[in-house]
Amino acid sequence: MKKIQPWLGLAARLILGGTLIAAGYLKFDELDKSQMAVRAYELLPIPLANFMGIFLPFFELAVGILLVIGAGVRINGALSALLMIAFMIGISQAWARGLSIDCGCFGGGGKVPEGEANYLTPLLRDTGLALLGIYLTLFPHTKFGLDKKPQSATQIGEGTHG
Amino acid sequence: MAKSQPGKDNFTRNLVIAVVVGVLLIMLVPTLLSRQTDSSASIPANVSADRGYGVVFNDDLTGVPVIDIYEDFQCPVCAQFTQLNGPYIESLIAEKKATVVYHTLSFLGPESVNAANAAACAADDGKFLEYHRLLMMNQKPENSGGWSNNFLASLGQTAGITSQKFSSCVNKGDYVGWVSNVAAAGANANVNSTPTVFVNGKEIDRNASEYFDAAKFQAAVERG
Repeated sequence: MKKIQPWLGLAARLILGGTLIAAGYLKFDELDKSQMAVRAYELLPIPLANFMGIFLPFFELAVGILLVIGAGVRINGALSALLMIAFMIGISQAWARGLSIDCGCFGGGGKVPEGEANYLTPLLRDTGLALLGIYLTLFPHTKFGLDKKPQSATQIGEGTHG
Repeated sequence: MAKSQPGKDNFTRNLVIAVVVGVLLIMLVPTLLSRQTDSSASIPANVSADRGYGVVFNDDLTGVPVIDIYEDFQCPVCAQFTQLNGPYIESLIAEKKATVVYHTLSFLGPESVNAANAAACAADDGKFLEYHRLLMMNQKPENSGGWSNNFLASLGQTAGITSQKFSSCVNKGDYVGWVSNVAAAGANANVNSTPTVFVNGKEIDRNASEYFDAAKFQAAVERG
């Protein structure tokens, strides 16, 4: 397990980071739509939703790039887990309230015709990604990262020797 | 791994984090600022900042329904909507039975911006409605290069626009700042799909076919 763990971490980093980069990049040159996507969740006040529509793609890109490079794995793993949980809350409440929207996960978004909304796929995907983020938060020591190995055994998940 | 120096030299890592976060912040701030309404942007004829920078017809009428139409010139469903309800809406304008405000959104990309700018140039020549109709009838695949400024300038002649100023207005993007103001106003009005129609400030009912059943649309307008 000890040998495998850093490799699992690398895989988690690449999957989670790669997904975030894709999600951020695809929203990047259609920010109007990204704002529309956030507004359509009817969760945030309009000005805040409009801000998030622009902020999120940048945030996703930053966290994704840092995860792929392997810099600040623990904090970025935690940030992406929190982000995924926020997305899951947004999607679940939209589903529960019967809104008919596109999740806008990878660009696009906004209202869709009745019956065309798909909430299950994004929810499952975000659950998986959240778990990867949590894994990286607990076991941030991964292969081919820029982070140095944690200093002491007090770091969570590092076992009893350095 | 035993040879690595635990926790000692994180300089490279910190530098990388600083660069990535820094570059994205430097891009984020101007992007946010560019989305603010620019009240110094030049606006075309018949546009009212009070009405979300829309192109207004029959602004001075009172006691008639106010119809706000949010659309993107590249949106195929908007073309269907125009085909179905356009003649009725234009008859309301001609017969002074309604105030109609066209909000030309541009979330589908650069050619939507080109088209909205060109429509604004047409408004200066009093040909917005004609040009609007032509664009909706001549939609191309999204951002395929079909709606270049050259094409849009030549489409002006089909709409009966003869002024020299029109093609320069189209090619120079005189109203691109205004297009961005329209988008910002649409975002503030919580418009999340196109077409979106408000009658007297209230959105008509998408699920009750009020968009794509001509009789129901007319009923929704008359209901006010």
